Amino acid sequence: MAAAEETFEQFEEDDAAETALALSSAGRKRLFSKELRCMMYGFGDDQNPYTESVDIIEDLVIEFITEMTYKAMEIGRTGRVQIDDIVFLVRKDPRKYARVKDLLTMNEELRRARKAFDEIKFAGNVK
Amino acid sequence: MEEILEKQEGDRNNIRALEQLKYDLNSTNSDEEQMEDDEHSKDALLSIEENVLKEESAVCNNSDFSIGVVDIKAEDILDLESDIILPQASQSQSSTNIQKQKRESKSRKELEEEEREKMQVLVSNFTEDQLDRYAMYRRSAFPKAAIKRLMQTIAGCSVSQNVVIAMAGIAKVFVGEVVEEGLDVMEELGDTGPLQPKHLREAVRRMRQYGGIPNGRDYRTHYRL
Repeated sequence: MAAAEETFEQFEEDDAAETALALSSAGRKRLFSKELRCMMYGFGDDQNPYTESVDIIEDLVIEFITEMTYKAMEIGRTGRVQIDDIVFLVRKDPRKYARVKDLLTMNEELRRARKAFDEIKFAGNVK
Repeated sequence: MEEILEKQEGDRNNIRALEQLKYDLNSTNSDEEQMEDDEHSKDALLSIEENVLKEESAVCNNSDFSIGVVDIKAEDILDLESDIILPQASQSQSSTNIQKQKRESKSRKELEEEEREKMQVLVSNFTEDQLDRYAMYRRSAFPKAAIKRLMQTIAGCSVSQNVVIAMAGIAKVFVGEVVEEGLDVMEELGDTGPLQPKHLREAVRRMRQYGGIPNGRDYRTHYRL
């Protein structure tokens, strides 16, 4: 993950242009083709989904993320997207709400575990 | 009165069990999997999963629950009583409710354990294909870098790590909903094979109707109380 972030920063300019292209309606650059294929297979589609189907789903996902981001910017602190806004936006959808809660809880646990592990390691080195 | 309460509880236990199954089914991303034991992952057969999700959405619709199923609201129980019982009696009822909640939270852990065991048994009986599909289901995820970049381009300001994690997870659930709806449409039409764009477009049309797809011009939220 950290390595991905570093390499991302190196090519930031190119990627930003990519993303801008992906957001424009004409001549889209496909952001999620590989991952979406695996995901669709996992959710029940054929092992080789049609490319057009993958394109439709990618457009839907980008639309979804865009709408959520805009809505999140309007509520809570305007102009910013914060985690509480996201949780508020999905409160009516049981599946998504449960998923967000699970992810955030697990993230917290992992963070605590990592911190504890580092402390133990530090204590071990001091001794 | 007691019978009504118990029946409500029975329903809630079932719903909670289904909710647990759903949590387990939708749980863990590739990041978290490192800390978890894949062998003990709570898995389910794909058709069972679909049925469970259909079942529970039907149950959820029928009992008109809000998402706070896990936080079994005392208000739900109290609402039932406030119509019938006098204020003094409701106080004693609320103390028994608290006891019931404690019992419920204990049994929830037991339920969790049971669910985990059931999943283990299920996964161990998977065929090669099912295992493959299940592994794909668990492992596939949206790349956090791309999501972060996308959101920052849209928002014009930086977004925190938590938000990216949440958005990636929600987007995956969203894809699942669309694909499932598409598979339903395909089944209705009697087609087989890979999903075709026409199935997906019909699925999207249906989802827009019940508000499954957020729309900037959707004022349904204003009509809801």
